[in-house]
Amino acid sequence: MKEFEMQESGQDRKLRAKVGVYICECGPNIAGKVDLDRIITDISELDDYQDVELVVKKYGFLCSAPGKEYLEEEINSNGFTHLVIGACSPRDHDSTFMGVCKKTDLNPYLYRIINIREHCSWVIDDKEKATVKAESYIRGGIARVLRQSELFEKPLDINPDVLIIGGGVAGMEAALSLSSDDRRVFLVEKTDRLGGVSIDLSGILPGQGEVIGKKIESVLGNGNIRVFLNTRVENVIGFLGNFEIELLSEENTEITEIMSGAIVVAAGGTLFDPRESDRYSYSGSDEVYTSLSIEKMFAGDDGAVLRSGKQPSSVALIHCVGREEKNYCSGICCSYMMKLACFFKKQSADIQVTEFYRDICLPKKNDQERFSEAQAAGVALIRIKDISLKGTNVSFERISGDKDKQSFDMVVLAPALEPSADTEYFADLLTVPLDEFGFFQEVHKMTNPVGTATDGVFIVGAAHGPKGVSDSMQFARASAGQILTRLIPGEKLIPEVAVTEISEAYCTGCGNCLEVCVYGAIYSDDSRGISVVNEAVCRGCGNCFGSCPSGALRTKHFTNTQLYREVDEALR
Amino acid sequence: MTDAQGKGAVLPVSKDPGDAILEFLRLAVAKELADAVILPMKVPSGDSFAWILMNDVSLFEGAVPIAAAMPVQGAKALRSLTRKGPGNLTVIAVMRPCEIRAAIELEKLGQVHTDNLILATYDCPGAIPLQKYVDDPGGSEEHFSLMRRSGKPDNTAKPVCHYCENFSMFDSDLHFGYFGFSEKEVLVIPGSDKGSELLKGLDLDLAKDLSDWKKGIDSLKAEREEARKSAFEETGEQLRGFSGMQSVFASCIGCHNCQSACPICYCRLCYFDSETAQQDPDALITAAAKRGGVSLPEDRIMFHVGRMTHMSLSCVSCGQCTDACPVSIPVAGVFSYVADRTQRTFEYEAGRNDGDPLPLRQFRKSELPGIHELVKNAESEEPSHE
Amino acid sequence: MSQTGNILVIGAGIAGMKASLMLAGASSKVYLVEKLPIIGGKVIKNEESFPNLECSTCMVAPIQQDVLQNPNIETLTYSVVEKIEGSAGDFSVVIRKRARYISLTDCIGCGMCYEPCPVSLKNEWEENLIDRKAIYVPCSGSLPNVPVIDSEHCLRIGGGEDCSLCAEACAFEAINLDDSDEIIEVNVGAVILATGSATFDLSSIPDLGYGTLPGVYAPMEFERLFASNGPTLGEITLRDSEKIPESVAIIHCVGRREQKYCSAVCCMYSFKFARFLKHKIPSVRVFNIYSDICVPGKSYQSFYRSVEGADTEMLYTSSIGDVSVSESGSGLKVSYPDAAVSPQSLNVDMVILAAALVADPDVAQLAEVAGVDLDPQGFIKTVLDGSGSMETSREGVFVAGTAEGPKDIQNSVVQAESAAGQVAEIMTSQASSS
Repeated sequence: MKEFEMQESGQDRKLRAKVGVYICECGPNIAGKVDLDRIITDISELDDYQDVELVVKKYGFLCSAPGKEYLEEEINSNGFTHLVIGACSPRDHDSTFMGVCKKTDLNPYLYRIINIREHCSWVIDDKEKATVKAESYIRGGIARVLRQSELFEKPLDINPDVLIIGGGVAGMEAALSLSSDDRRVFLVEKTDRLGGVSIDLSGILPGQGEVIGKKIESVLGNGNIRVFLNTRVENVIGFLGNFEIELLSEENTEITEIMSGAIVVAAGGTLFDPRESDRYSYSGSDEVYTSLSIEKMFAGDDGAVLRSGKQPSSVALIHCVGREEKNYCSGICCSYMMKLACFFKKQSADIQVTEFYRDICLPKKNDQERFSEAQAAGVALIRIKDISLKGTNVSFERISGDKDKQSFDMVVLAPALEPSADTEYFADLLTVPLDEFGFFQEVHKMTNPVGTATDGVFIVGAAHGPKGVSDSMQFARASAGQILTRLIPGEKLIPEVAVTEISEAYCTGCGNCLEVCVYGAIYSDDSRGISVVNEAVCRGCGNCFGSCPSGALRTKHFTNTQLYREVDEALR
Repeated sequence: MTDAQGKGAVLPVSKDPGDAILEFLRLAVAKELADAVILPMKVPSGDSFAWILMNDVSLFEGAVPIAAAMPVQGAKALRSLTRKGPGNLTVIAVMRPCEIRAAIELEKLGQVHTDNLILATYDCPGAIPLQKYVDDPGGSEEHFSLMRRSGKPDNTAKPVCHYCENFSMFDSDLHFGYFGFSEKEVLVIPGSDKGSELLKGLDLDLAKDLSDWKKGIDSLKAEREEARKSAFEETGEQLRGFSGMQSVFASCIGCHNCQSACPICYCRLCYFDSETAQQDPDALITAAAKRGGVSLPEDRIMFHVGRMTHMSLSCVSCGQCTDACPVSIPVAGVFSYVADRTQRTFEYEAGRNDGDPLPLRQFRKSELPGIHELVKNAESEEPSHE
Repeated sequence: MSQTGNILVIGAGIAGMKASLMLAGASSKVYLVEKLPIIGGKVIKNEESFPNLECSTCMVAPIQQDVLQNPNIETLTYSVVEKIEGSAGDFSVVIRKRARYISLTDCIGCGMCYEPCPVSLKNEWEENLIDRKAIYVPCSGSLPNVPVIDSEHCLRIGGGEDCSLCAEACAFEAINLDDSDEIIEVNVGAVILATGSATFDLSSIPDLGYGTLPGVYAPMEFERLFASNGPTLGEITLRDSEKIPESVAIIHCVGRREQKYCSAVCCMYSFKFARFLKHKIPSVRVFNIYSDICVPGKSYQSFYRSVEGADTEMLYTSSIGDVSVSESGSGLKVSYPDAAVSPQSLNVDMVILAAALVADPDVAQLAEVAGVDLDPQGFIKTVLDGSGSMETSREGVFVAGTAEGPKDIQNSVVQAESAAGQVAEIMTSQASSS
């Protein structure tokens, strides 16, 4: 009698599982290649599960607006405890159907999307085989979903302020783009002035005069940007929205603690030392200069002259210094070398200027002018196969194969742009990986070039890779764009829900998981002798899970039990 | 392998090398260069040894630094002592090279903290299997005495000892060398700053040239290497293909004694005892139908494969696993063979204290093509599974 | 303070989609207007994109789906913007939603309507390499996966004839032959122009034989040949003869002299083509004819070095602008000057021209509607105030991607994020002042 009453009152909805299995036809994509009616019949007739009711249906396009409405209706009216969707790749629509669940009483983590399109209908021509596979997948999905647990979002308060490391062009641009009354910027610079490498550059941007100087004024005059000169970043802990940073002032060795929601790494680059290569040998007393030194000279009153103060009668400008050695092209040198060539010619029309290059690389739409100007000014452009330098004696092999030698009064080298000396330090501090050249590694070369594996840490300017002033500013603005649209003052962030947790009972603190976590999401709790996951940083990738010999880790929503039972069932 | 550089100090021997070591330790504690020591002591029944942590110098007399048997792997004792942290007091541990090497591996795994430990090793001629010692302590002691003098394991010693190449100095703080000196001299060789400082504190001069001793060690090593080659050839044959594995482990009863005795296995709950390793009855019956039969409890061989995967890179071939097996499976022989190959593949030597991180914790892109080759070669070597 | 207010993004390529998603994520309402019936822009026309030759669809499809599913993004495909009046913070926009004739909600994409259509013509999206009907989707995998009727060529809508074969074939009553353009008026705070670019007109250089010699291909034509969802399902066969080419010459810098700029992506895609050819046809000989290799940035040179020698032979010419292609027997002859010796020539089966990126032909019209200035090369100009700003000459209107100038995907995305950031700033200051 009691049991009967419980059923009547609807209580049994919670004691019995009721699984909705909805198969999307995806138009002809799935329905045309898989016998859905047969699957519906077979699954409906499954009697493997005690106390589980299965409702199996198909629908045209579940991801369409009416499809989603239909699904919502079905969940509500049936009171499903679990949901399986047989459709396309989770990459396409996992979040779509999670969104539908969120509108109902069904916890979105009690649902699972099963891929019967990319895995079945798109790759198997034989309808019978495709149907058998799709059906086994769906059965596996049901077994899996019955072992899933409710999981809940935990919105986090965030700090909208931003720490910018490096006060060069990129750092300053990011600071100016980001700062507002609602969002403070902490701009930390290790030297005693802002401006970085570009402070001595002139004529770098079309029609510009004192660009950098003006920018420094804007930054220093901005009440929402707090500038720290002669300061280094000592320590960083935390995650997107909640970083805690320790700054060390070189002057008074004082530690300042600041908090921020994001970190922009604008630590810049440095120039390759040509003497590291066998091709270039010269001493400090030779009239051999890097392009940067020449830029500084042109910015001064005397211009680019020899140590004696005299005008050089001949200047060699050698491109691609370090290109072969480092195996990348820095992309900016051809442009500025042509500019420098014209500067020499303006300084004195009598100077014989010769540029030695491997390829002309002028990728910007306005750069071609530089080439025409150099040609018009009478600069000799010699294409070479290889080149070497002894003092100011240049030995080169022309493209024809002829070898030649020439001596010059002055030689200017365009060295490759390298990662700055601090790059490894920051990579370690911020747990950001480095690429094969030693630059910071971006999340995705094409679709997310300023993001890093540590969410909340962005890389801009030459820290990302060799680039010039205008591209550096663009990257800085892109990082600002990401921060402005994601870390909104007053709004909360919702970190990943399906994260990994470590059992205190089983963990012995061996640290395997900590070492393999690329997101820096695991830390060691020495007082308990165990490792602990920071759920706000964890992305649920499961790397750690694979590294633990004792199975002390459990990736929520992808537990061993769920996966094994899904596979067992699918293979039955 | 002897890593000793140049010179060592000499300890006077009145009775035997073990005694000289005890005297050394007494002095160290008396001079407050160490707060305590950890040494084996014979148990009251006289048929085994136990690790005793002690600081009362008067009790040292009953200790046997160079013990004939190894009931508990020394690294386990060090784990008990320092699992929670290095503490504030200095302890000298005198153990077999394989025990110290295991301790160094455990340190990499966060289970042992050596900051306040002084790790000392001695020339090890091998150990008598525990069961043999228990059955006949007197006879075992006689054999061990001979082994100590010759520097060679005899037919009573554990099988793995016969081909152990790391029986002398390794990456310890101190090493007591005595092979080839007819028990008249014991060399004390520092292996680190900690060791050097201790010797300085005891006013021991590094006056003795080590080359004669080294020569002796090297020739003993060459013999062990020969034994190793033939042992592994035989093991390799036995283990060929999955059926080879099956026949070697067929009598396994799944007691996990080998895991308990192993110094490296540090998991609180073995993965194979966890919930996820449990199968559904229907899944087992389906498997039985497919394969003709399923042996229960399930995964007894998988347990060994799993254990190899988890610890073979740190395996020091101490042989405790074979000692502990109630059905006499040559576990140590199999694991040593596998460990030899896996460690060579990753260019990693278990027990080295040189900052080389555990291979499974790091990924180098350059390894990827190599692994592809490895798999290809392995596939061409082994016959396909039945 | 959360952001409110509406934003107009014109162009649903990679830049437009990224900008829209960022702004929608910050709770702005985005009107994403796309002139084609599908979203995805140019990137989805590539099978793989450099430098790591990642599958373009795999890279972009999740982004496309995010855009279509995002409740804050209203995607208006097959639509054009006709007016943008007002000023920053308060623009009145008039959008013409062209008649598609098929309901986006009722159509299930079964494709039953294509077969009965009696009209057949060249599919421009597939670079005219294959035919389509008057009722069509541009390619397999189109998103949204709903066809459109080309009203100009439809017998009924364009020709006044009494044909309704497609509607009769539709089991879902999704076709409405009486559909008409819809005018939508919206109010937005800012505009982002992400309308992309076009390829240099190759027929303007007759010496290269494009359009007259069937073995000469434009780059986009080759992309579609190699595409697994393309006209030949990824098989590389010459048009007309259907032969598999045994030798291919890829000529760099076509249009560089005429346009007076380097398009920055052609060398990389030329090497990509060489890699495609060598992997698809292992015995093929591929030649890259070049005078300067432009592979800036940390990721590109290593790809070039891996292709050079392994997949292609590099042939230097002292004057890339003076290369010519002529008929030679059943194949082609490529003639190119070489500084050292007398002019060289090469006999090949197929020539691919690495053509410059130029401004989209519709951009002049767009510039007028948007009230923005163009630069001398025809691209949309930015303010060039020394700050990397993506703002155009009209306050509140921004540009991103190849509409601003030739660039790769990475820089298009960077500009899109840049512009989105600037728009987000405007919306926040708007919200705080209201």
